[in-house]
Amino acid sequence: MSTDTTTRPSAGPFATESTGARVLRFAIRRGPLILFAAVCVYLALASPFFLTQANILSSLEQTAPIAVVAFGLAIVVIGGGDDVVSGGIDLSLPASAALATVILSDQLTNRGAGLPQAFLLALLAALVVGLVNAVLVTVVGLSAILATLATYVAVVGVTRVVSENRRIDVTDPAILYIRDEELLGLPVAVWIMLLVFAVVAFLVHRTRYGMNLQATGGNLDAARSAGIRTTRIVASTFVLASVAAAVAGVLLVARGSGSSPGIDERLLVDMMLATFIGAAFSPRNVVNVLGAMLGATFVALLSNGLVLTRVNNSWIDGWKGVLILIVVAAAALQHRERK
Amino acid sequence: MIRKHRFAFTGAILAAGLALTACSASSGQTAGLGEGGGDQPLAGKTIGVAVVGTQHFWDREAFNGAVERIEELGGTVLTTDGGRDNTVHAQNHEVFLSQQVDAVITILGDDAVEPKLAELKDAGIPVFGVDRDSPSAVNNSQSDNEAAGEAIGNILGEAIEGTGNVAVFNAFGESLEFCGVRYDSWREALETNFPDVTILQPELAEEFANSPEDARQQTLSLLERYPVGELAAIHVACWDQPAIGVVQALEEAGRTEVKVTAIDAGPDTLEIMMEEGSPFVGNVAQQPRKIATVAADNVAAYLSGEEIERQSYTEVFPVAGPEQAREVYEQLGYDKE
Repeated sequence: MSTDTTTRPSAGPFATESTGARVLRFAIRRGPLILFAAVCVYLALASPFFLTQANILSSLEQTAPIAVVAFGLAIVVIGGGDDVVSGGIDLSLPASAALATVILSDQLTNRGAGLPQAFLLALLAALVVGLVNAVLVTVVGLSAILATLATYVAVVGVTRVVSENRRIDVTDPAILYIRDEELLGLPVAVWIMLLVFAVVAFLVHRTRYGMNLQATGGNLDAARSAGIRTTRIVASTFVLASVAAAVAGVLLVARGSGSSPGIDERLLVDMMLATFIGAAFSPRNVVNVLGAMLGATFVALLSNGLVLTRVNNSWIDGWKGVLILIVVAAAALQHRERK
Repeated sequence: MIRKHRFAFTGAILAAGLALTACSASSGQTAGLGEGGGDQPLAGKTIGVAVVGTQHFWDREAFNGAVERIEELGGTVLTTDGGRDNTVHAQNHEVFLSQQVDAVITILGDDAVEPKLAELKDAGIPVFGVDRDSPSAVNNSQSDNEAAGEAIGNILGEAIEGTGNVAVFNAFGESLEFCGVRYDSWREALETNFPDVTILQPELAEEFANSPEDARQQTLSLLERYPVGELAAIHVACWDQPAIGVVQALEEAGRTEVKVTAIDAGPDTLEIMMEEGSPFVGNVAQQPRKIATVAADNVAAYLSGEEIERQSYTEVFPVAGPEQAREVYEQLGYDKE
């Protein structure tokens, strides 16, 4: 099997590749996407309800807040690099989103504010968290993982103080509109997710800032040598990510018809899964914005599909873990094959 | 060789996944057993069961009780678990709408779930609550919460000899109706029968997730503010998991003169009560499995055309001191698990 690589003619790699080898190479290159499709096909065959319009829309709606907060994390990872220890990461985003839900709910229900005013306050709070992260990482010199873990804990504490650990119901018409209505056949929450995706994707892929961002995350020293203000770029990622957290807060308030304590932990796990599974969908196995959306969709569809196929509740997380492991392992193998 | 390893690795993971499927898909596959039999009124019916989480004894017992009873009655079960995130729990109800189940049993959860229950009702899907009294529900199955609150108020008052400051964890008195009933009747019992007891303000609010650790931290802070002699008891108004952390904090601080009371009396907190010199002196045992079984029976009766009362109550067992804790522990069969 392995000898074919040693007999390649110099005219170019794989020039004499057999059909089987080409199929195999395609399977490796597109492994995670193929597995994603295979899982969806399996779930569709196992439950006739899986591919119904109502179910897909419901899953997409569930995806929205996770995807938006994952977009924020994707920006931080793209700008800071994907090294697990020394690269870019922002663990505080779910806590900022949870804080935003409390501020939004409190403003809308207890203070008589409208959504714009409530959102501005929530955004302000999230921006403060983002700025603190930026200072801790780029000025103080803490590693992002430690700095944002610390702010995560602090923000959870602040949220507890502000909310008094109590639920706040919201019946604001704008929030109910986001929760209940559809535009052109898609839930409003999904449109918001797509809008944020478009803005972030444009920023990352179609602007000079985005080029500098990718250069900084790809090779910090080279970017610095090229005259890019890398410190400013890295700092900006935390601020931009906090904006995403505030928007996710709006979607979370709509999903829960208010704020309920304790939503940050689950969101943290889902955000990390979505972002890093998303990398598996990328040809270069790197974290990216589209991947984050695909990852969030994959996690939501998987959860939904396992329920529909009547997998026992106690097994669902184990099952999800195995399937996610398959996708990530396929991506790792693909990466190794390239090297 | 690398490719062989690749296939072996991927194959092994896939095999593990398939094996997991075989193990895990067992629940809810019993539809049609004895279909049409008189003792299987749910044959051919799909019943959704949504639980806010399965980490805690009460939740798990209620969930398992509902699922097992529906299967005994011949129904097919579709289950969801919110992982103790109320917003996820609420969203999970969407799947029952998309699959147009015949009825839904919703276990616990805060008001985040209300819009979804209203949607289910509007779609003609009857909803049955387990400790979830919703205007959209046909019926709510629960403990006699008023009796539970009154009993624990009296146990606490007697344990502190009718005098002293009492701190209370009461995060859910406003958002969960049954918690409000427990708290109100507890407070009324104290105010009526033990007028020299003072309930400290502001009240404490426990976290829903990680409640023991959260309650431990809050109790340590509370003990700083109220030195020996200034705090007689700490009560957890709606459940018992925070009380685990409260007791830990009291033992850590050497302040076991402060008495602890709670409601639920799962096996873990009954065991703490049974320990020698435990500050945990009062509890009220519920029967979560029975409560959920009643809900499943109500679903069957309702779908058979019977009238169902708005509320179903299940008996509670007040527990005062280690001896009663041991008796109730055995009575509820926890010693055999």
